[in-house]
This record gives sequence, structure tokens and C-alpha cells, in this order.
Amino acid sequence: MRPGLWVRLAARFLQRSWRSTLVLGLMVFAATGALVFLSSLAVGTNDAMVRNSVGLLAGHVLCRDLPPGVRAADLTGRGIRGALVRREVAATLRSATRWSPVELVGVDPEAEKRFTALWRKTAAGRYLEGASHDLYLGQGLARQLAAGVGQSVEIVAADRSLLGRYTVCGIFRTGIPALDGSLAFVPLSAWPAADARRTAAVFLEDGAVAAAVAAALSRLPGSPRFEAWSDFMPDLKQLIDLNYVSMGIVMVLVFAVVSLGIACAFVIFILKNLREHGILKAMGVRPVESAALILAQVTGLTLAAAGTGAAVGAGVVLLVARTGIDLGALTSHNPYFAVSGIIYPRLTSYSLGVPPLLALVFGLLAAVWPVAMVVRQRAAEILRSL
Amino acid sequence: MNTIDVQGVSKSYRSGRGRVAALSDVSLRVAAGGALAVLGRSGSGKTTLLHCIGGLERPDAGRVFCAGTAVHTLGPGALARFQRRRVGFVFQSGNLLSFLTVRENLALPLELNGILGRERDRRVAALLEAVGLPGVGAALPRELSGGEIQRVAFARAIAHGPAILLADEPTASLDSETGERLIGSMLEWATGHAATLVVATHDPDVVARVTAAIRLKDGRLEEPA
Ligand SMILES: Nc1ncnc2c1ncn2[C@@H]1O[C@H](COP(=O)(O)OP(=O)(O)O)[C@@H](O)[C@H]1O
Ligand SMILES: [Mg+2]
Repeated sequence: MRPGLWVRLAARFLQRSWRSTLVLGLMVFAATGALVFLSSLAVGTNDAMVRNSVGLLAGHVLCRDLPPGVRAADLTGRGIRGALVRREVAATLRSATRWSPVELVGVDPEAEKRFTALWRKTAAGRYLEGASHDLYLGQGLARQLAAGVGQSVEIVAADRSLLGRYTVCGIFRTGIPALDGSLAFVPLSAWPAADARRTAAVFLEDGAVAAAVAAALSRLPGSPRFEAWSDFMPDLKQLIDLNYVSMGIVMVLVFAVVSLGIACAFVIFILKNLREHGILKAMGVRPVESAALILAQVTGLTLAAAGTGAAVGAGVVLLVARTGIDLGALTSHNPYFAVSGIIYPRLTSYSLGVPPLLALVFGLLAAVWPVAMVVRQRAAEILRSL
Repeated sequence: MNTIDVQGVSKSYRSGRGRVAALSDVSLRVAAGGALAVLGRSGSGKTTLLHCIGGLERPDAGRVFCAGTAVHTLGPGALARFQRRRVGFVFQSGNLLSFLTVRENLALPLELNGILGRERDRRVAALLEAVGLPGVGAALPRELSGGEIQRVAFARAIAHGPAILLADEPTASLDSETGERLIGSMLEWATGHAATLVVATHDPDVVARVTAAIRLKDGRLEEPA
């Protein structure tokens, strides 16, 4: 068994029957290219959902109760773009006629504007400014209080003591009930409560792994508990996993169909050239060598076509990623796309690697049938028929 | 020694007509360097006999010794090795691999026997010269005439220096002059290399030139022709 010989013969075969090679290759090429693009789009969609969800307010990694020893300046490290330290306390808001429980958050308005997108969701009025006694609250909460922009609202502590009187400067609407119905923001510089929790929202660079950053930050003094977005948004995590699974199923189905086509085409090839396989057997070529020849033909074809398909698919992805695809019309009512519906397809080892890999695996599967056919044919029978 | 010794070989096939005895108790012997013509009408068992000698068919009964090898006993691996090293086949038509050039077709039996590089190229050139086709090395089989194809097929069958050459009606699709020249080359080669030639044919002209001839009828040996 001389592998080089059979690979060379396979290459000759593909080359000299280049029309069929081209037609068959086109199937694999198109399937691989399309799936590289589609899976990159799926990755980009997942990216967009994460970006929208964590970018609105929460951050990629958060800590709900920062120990006193940890300062904002400590929240740095590999992959961290920035961190916001806030204060939070459960309180009650009271307007002229009504009241409602609220999760009151003290923020640095300038820093928030740099890292989060909530201020862009202002439905009425404006976002917080400097050191004023501004109150910025969700639309659901504002309705509950029957409070509009410019009106005065009192903040009452859990022990019913009055914490302060604030003026509604703006009302936001994200479409996410948990945010719109229970959150209100005031500037840190006008923070009224003494015994409030400190929280941290950490924002990561593209491609940084949230779980790894969370683990690293959890080693800070005082052992703060940092959670990655996949922990505090299990619904999003599941949605993304589901996306990958369904993309995987699509890929497997596409290649199953394509490889069936290839198997059929090779069987036809072999039926057409059956006599030549008989001649090879009469020359003392063993069944395993005939099998190697066909396997090399199918593999060579698949590799070349899947390789070019993946390259072209990747090229298209890079091109489209420069501007992104605006799917705003399809996402505007979706809380996972609260900020922007623009999707940037992204190449990952998954989106670039899995389609050609599956093409190869299914290509090899496609070779089974023609191989079995040639191996089982008896040379004498083949040679007699003509 | 490159003798062929067939002893009491029988082979039958199951077919739509019931059991067909393609060969019945056939015995023959060809000495090294000898040439045997196998005559007989279509369906008389010529191809079956050649296939049994070359190991493409296993006889139901009887024994086949080729150049010292008990062909009827060989397992698949040993049989492939025997065919690869010791046997050359020429069929009536469709002998060449369509996706290989003439030169690559000729190189294949050499490569299967581990002859590579310069030695292979030298031998391929010599073979092309020997069959009078020095210019067609780069051509594909479909670019050759029927006579040229059979000459290349002959060249390929002898490329690796087999002990026996089995030719199944090699001239049937050629005009008589071309056919005669091909048979001449085969006889000349067999004598020159002390190899044994068995050629199935309808052609009475061939009989005049071989050392022995047999005639098959319905799978049985008729009296020596
Ligand atoms: N695979 C087969 N199945 C059934 N019958 C066969 C098969 N091969 C050969 N035969 C029969 O065996 C007989 C001898 O065939 P063959 O050796 O090809 O004769 P020849 O080469 O002299 O024409 C014929 O009757 C043929 O029909
Ligand atoms: Mg015949």
C-alpha cells in the first residue's frame, strides 16, 4: 500500500474529470460558504443579545454587594474595559397621591453615559445631570406614581424616615418590565441613604470571557461574589445555547443532504467507470487500495471545495461585519435587543471551523457507499460485462 | 519455471437458464516460453478459462499452477500479489484507465511493483518504443485509435515483466493486419522473455503462429486443434 500513489491517482482522476469535479465541488463550496456566513451571523446575533442585555445597565460581570475595602480603581485587569461602582437600596417612592416600592440606584451620570445605554432609552425629559436632586425613573414606576417630568417625589426609607425630596428629570422605557417598573436613579453626589449596598458593574472588551473575569475579580480582598452574565441572566444563556444547537442541527442536515448528493454522484461515477476498477483489480490492486483511491477522491474533492467555501464565506463575513446588518425592524419589540438591532457577524473557531469540518466528516461518510460498491464487485464479473 | 498447468478445472454459474457449466474438467499444460491459442465459439468458456488461470475466478474443482504458484489455493492478499507481479492481462477492449495518460497507464504496474523515479520513466519510454508508439505518452486513451489502445494495453500488460501473459480476444476489434501485428509482438515478447502466453481467439491465422492450440466447446476440451 503506497498512500502517495493512490493520492496521486485520485488527483489525476479529479483533474481529468474536472467538469464533474467542479459540479460536485460547487455543492460543497456553496454549502460550506453559506454555513460559515450563517453561523457567523448566529454568533453575531448572540453577541448582539449579550451586548444589548449587559450594555443596558448590568455589565458583563456584576457584584451585588461590594466589600467596603474594594474601590472602583481595583476593578481592573485583563479584558476589563471599565467598571461602575453604584449604590443601591430598597426604598419607597411617594408622589402627591400614590406610592410605590423602588430599587433606588445611585450613579455617576457621566460614567454611566460612557458604559451603559439606559440614558438613550429616555422616553420623556432628560437623563441625570451632575449634583442636582434629579430622579430618573422607569415608565412603569412613573405610571404607578402618576408622576411626570418636573414633578416632585419623596424617597422614604424602609423605616419610614424621609430620605429626601427629588424632582423627576426624566422617564425611561426599555420594554423590560423588571427595569421599567422598579428602578429609579439619582446622582451619587445627591445620594440620600447612609446604609446602602455598593454594587459593581464591570464591562469587558470584545472576546473577553466573562466567567474568567468574574473568577479573577472574586479573588479581591473581602472575597466579593462576582457573577458573569451567563449566571445572572440564565434565560439569555439558554437562548444562546439554543441558537448554537439549532445552528448545529441546520449544519448537520445541510451536509447530510449534500453528502448524500456526493455519494450518489460518486456511485454514478463508479458505475460509469466500473470497468476501470475491474482492470485495476486484474492488475493486482487490492480492495483496500481501491477503497483508498475512492476515499482520496472524495476527501480531496471535499477538502478543496470546503476550503474555498470557508475562505469565501469568511471574506463575506469580514465585509459585512464592517457595517453590520440592521435587523432593527425584526428586533424592536425584543427585550434582548433593547439598545440596537444591528448585528455584526463574527468569525469564531465555531463559525469558521465547524462547517468545513462537518463537510469533511460527511464527505468521508459519502465515500462509504461507493467504496463498499467497488470492494464488493468481483473483477471477473465486471470485466465480462462489455 | 513459467509453465502453466491446469488440471481438471470445472466452473459453473447459476443463471436464468439454470446451472451453466462454463468449464468442465479442462486440463492443459503450456511450457515456459510457449504460446497456447484457445479457440472456440462465443460462450464456449474461453474467458472463464483465462480468468481461472489468472486468478480472477476460483474454479469449483481442479487445480491451476502458474509459474510454480498454486493459484487455486491463494487467499485474497497472496492472489493480489501474484497478479501484480506475475500476470499480465490484455482484454478485448476497454483496457486503459481513462483518467490516466498513456505514460501514466504504463507506469502504474511498475509503481505497483515498487519501481519508481528514473527507472520507471526509462522503462515506460522503452515500452512505448517497443510497441512503436514513442510519441503518444502524453495522450489520454480517448485520443488513441483502437489499434493504438491495444498496443498500449499490451505494453502495460508486460511492463512489470510478468511470467504469464493472458490475452482475451485482444484482436477481436481490430482489422486483420493490425491484429496480426499485435499477435506477432506478443509471440515475440513471450519467446524472448521465456514467458508463457495464452491467447483466446476466433482467429484461425493466430493458430498457425502459436506452439499449441486447444478448442473449447460448451466448456469441454475438444481434440487438440
Ligand atoms: N457470471 C456468469 N453468470 C452466468 N453465466 C455465466 C457467467 N459468466 C459466464 N457465464 C456463462 O458461461 C459460459 C462461458 O462463458 P465465457 O467463458 O465468457 O465464454 P467465451 O469467452 O468463450 O465467450 C457462457 O455460457 C456464459 O453465458
Ligand atoms: Mg470471452
